[in-house]
Amino acid sequence: MTAPLVEVEQLQTYFPIRRGLLRRVVGNVQAVDGVSFSIARGKTLGLVGESGCGKTTVGRSILRLVEPTGGRVAFDGLAVRDLRGRDLRNLRRRMQVVFQDPYGSLNPRMTVRALIEEGLIIHGLGSARERVDRVVRAMERTGLSRQALERYPHEFSGGQRQRIAIARALVLEPDFLVLDEPISALDLSIQAQVVNLLIELREQLGLTYLFISHDLSVVEHVSDEVAVMYLGRIVERATAAALYAQPLHPYTLALFSAVPTVDPARRRRRIVLVGDVPSPSNPPRGCRFHPRCPLAESVCREVDPPMVSLPEHAVHCHVAARELARSGGNASVAAATIAALLADRATPPTATLSPG
Amino acid sequence: MIERPPHPRLSPPPRHAPLLAIKNLVTAFHTPAGRIPAVDGVSLSIERGRTLGIVGESGCGKSVTAMSVLRLVASPGRIEAGEILFSSGGTTLDLATLPEPAMRSVRGGRIGMIFQEPMTSLNPVFTVGDQIAEAVLLHRRVSREAARARALEMLQLVRLADPRQRLDEYPHQLSGGMRQRVMIAMALACDPELVIADEPTTALDVTIQAQILELLSELRARLGTAIVLITHDLGVVAETCDDVAVMYAGRVVEQAPAAELFARPRHPYTIGLLAARPSPGMKHSGPLCTIPGMVPLPQHFPAGCRFHPRCAYARLPGAESGSGRVVPLPAGELPCNAAVPPLHEVAPGHWVRCFHAESLGPPRSAQEIAAGGLFS
Ligand SMILES: Nc1ncnc2c1ncn2[C@@H]1O[C@H](COP(=O)(O)OP(=O)(O)OP(=O)(O)O)[C@@H](O)[C@H]1O
Ligand SMILES: Nc1ncnc2c1ncn2[C@@H]1O[C@H](COP(=O)(O)OP(=O)(O)OP(=O)(O)O)[C@@H](O)[C@H]1O
Ligand code: SF4
Ligand code: SF4
Ligand SMILES: [Mg+2]
Ligand SMILES: [Mg+2]
Repeated sequence: MTAPLVEVEQLQTYFPIRRGLLRRVVGNVQAVDGVSFSIARGKTLGLVGESGCGKTTVGRSILRLVEPTGGRVAFDGLAVRDLRGRDLRNLRRRMQVVFQDPYGSLNPRMTVRALIEEGLIIHGLGSARERVDRVVRAMERTGLSRQALERYPHEFSGGQRQRIAIARALVLEPDFLVLDEPISALDLSIQAQVVNLLIELREQLGLTYLFISHDLSVVEHVSDEVAVMYLGRIVERATAAALYAQPLHPYTLALFSAVPTVDPARRRRRIVLVGDVPSPSNPPRGCRFHPRCPLAESVCREVDPPMVSLPEHAVHCHVAARELARSGGNASVAAATIAALLADRATPPTATLSPG
Repeated sequence: MIERPPHPRLSPPPRHAPLLAIKNLVTAFHTPAGRIPAVDGVSLSIERGRTLGIVGESGCGKSVTAMSVLRLVASPGRIEAGEILFSSGGTTLDLATLPEPAMRSVRGGRIGMIFQEPMTSLNPVFTVGDQIAEAVLLHRRVSREAARARALEMLQLVRLADPRQRLDEYPHQLSGGMRQRVMIAMALACDPELVIADEPTTALDVTIQAQILELLSELRARLGTAIVLITHDLGVVAETCDDVAVMYAGRVVEQAPAAELFARPRHPYTIGLLAARPSPGMKHSGPLCTIPGMVPLPQHFPAGCRFHPRCAYARLPGAESGSGRVVPLPAGELPCNAAVPPLHEVAPGHWVRCFHAESLGPPRSAQEIAAGGLFS
């Protein structure tokens, strides 16, 4: 086991809600509330969950693009929060981010060369000549031709713009990349090209990734470990193989089952959840998933479920904890029992046509 | 895992005139920069009571096709050629040329519509109840009370929580999933024979999407409404549609029953798309299959088969294939860039627009093709 490159402990990021003339704080959006994980050097952690569950905020908090309100983030053994001045700048060079939107994230008035070079200038790296060499090298790595140097982003397709964004991150020779929905905005036939590129770069350069996406098949393909978030918390985390083969948390099962797939081997019995995702400004007490959970019991409404850990798998759920205890820690037995329970209870209510 | 039970599907009704038959539709935009042939010879048909999925990548002309059927193509676009035959109540109307007043009674009446972003289609200043009642009054000779009662009935039908209270709420008071339920209620309020749904779940979360797809399937089974479901998500089509039309660069390149299409894709583009998806076993077997190159813009649609610059099977005179591998051209054969391949039937109900669909060997699944490494 190598020491983790990124360690996140009880990370908390709240955003104040202000109202009225005096912009008084009337509450908090609990965007991230007690998230912990670590990523070993050269590995990829996939982060999945529905819109607004806090995935982007986790990424931004690690990079200190937003200031966390609590918890600890360590990068290569250094406490990120304590870094100032040059150390902070150096850290910012070593951690880069690629956003979803290859349109919005590139300044349309800058040439490809200026866009990729910008980080080198900010960090005062290399002479003018060395910078051009590094820009060209980063472009070659991402499959962009030298001819693109003096052109503008609008002259490129979505897939190529995403390559520019990746080159822009790579030119600083980072150790760690936060990839926030890097393929969501791309055409279907282009997504595989970018996925292959990201995997190739990771292997060649020994990069470490936090890979945020709502495409569960792509996350499985890219990640070593996967964490599932719901309303600001990680509800389950495991190796990709264990999570996809034996999901233990009722939300993970519902999420996996809800994703439509062309592959019959992947199709699961659909568990349709009732209701909407609650607001992170007023999360339910106890288990945050309880208002929508088909397996909720009275303890779930009161007590926040603690984490239960197996060697390759961790889950926060009372029922999963009980089933794991009952099966002597056998995740596949527990997973099968939970799936069967859900199949029993989660039949969607049938509508009645007659008006009231 | 456990096998998922199929969605409630109607057994296919007898094959007579299809409910809607689009033939060689051409819709183009005339911009200062030139003519943009967004839809350029689309042919497809939908049978009564069935769900047809139209899939394709961004810009391939899905929405413009839908808007053409509804005759809502935004200026500077217009339908330039083709027929849109809608067979309803014993008569067949050509929607491509139907006068606007008659079209108004079809739109929202016999053909309902649901769009991706309900907020842009719902009027923010009217309550949910008033909007549905208004849609009913536009097409039915009923009293205001009856229209309101119908609105309530529809909200109950789409299983909106607290329907009575929701009647008097405004769209902004509802969540995305709730608004989409209201859109569905409105689309179904006049008992349409056909509903056109353009990306109805794309803006929603997956668990909410599952609710809406479930609802659509259930309503279709119960009311017998035919549905055209436009989406870029192959999974959504595989799980909810009876038939599928795959579009590429302004044309339908393949149409078949869903089960047939996903088990035995025949068009190189469909095969490429399916093979590019990661599947559980593929993680350790090397990179994903990719389709080289990128989606062409309508201004730059290639000649002949529009897929030829990216097609691994293209037969071309020189080394023009996007894959770099050119299948040699036998003497006397037309190269793929010389003529538009016709949409022809390769198996019952399975239509393909490719010169070489028959000669690509026995039909196989995309996974087998991927494993065989024909696309790389
Ligand atoms: N700067 C901010 N100020 C206030 N609230 C914020 C801010 N950034 C995010 N939030 C809120 O925090 C919650 C989590 O947002 P976040 O963007 O992290 O979610 P996400 O999981 O990335 O969602 P998506 O899948 O839609 O990108 C949301 O409720 C969001 O509205
Ligand atoms: N008002 C317009 N003026 C000019 N071109 C247009 C107009 N509307 C659409 N187009 C062009 O027509 C083509 C087809 O667009 P359409 O909206 O049908 O694509 P789509 O398949 O629905 O894509 P998406 O998946 O992105 O919704 C596009 O290339 C688009 O640029
Ligand atoms: S703790 Fe209870 S409510 Fe939460 S996921 Fe588990 S069973 Fe459901
Ligand atoms: S017609 Fe030729 S280029 Fe077009 S899909 Fe078929 S083989 Fe490929
Ligand atoms: Mg996000
Ligand atoms: Mg569209």
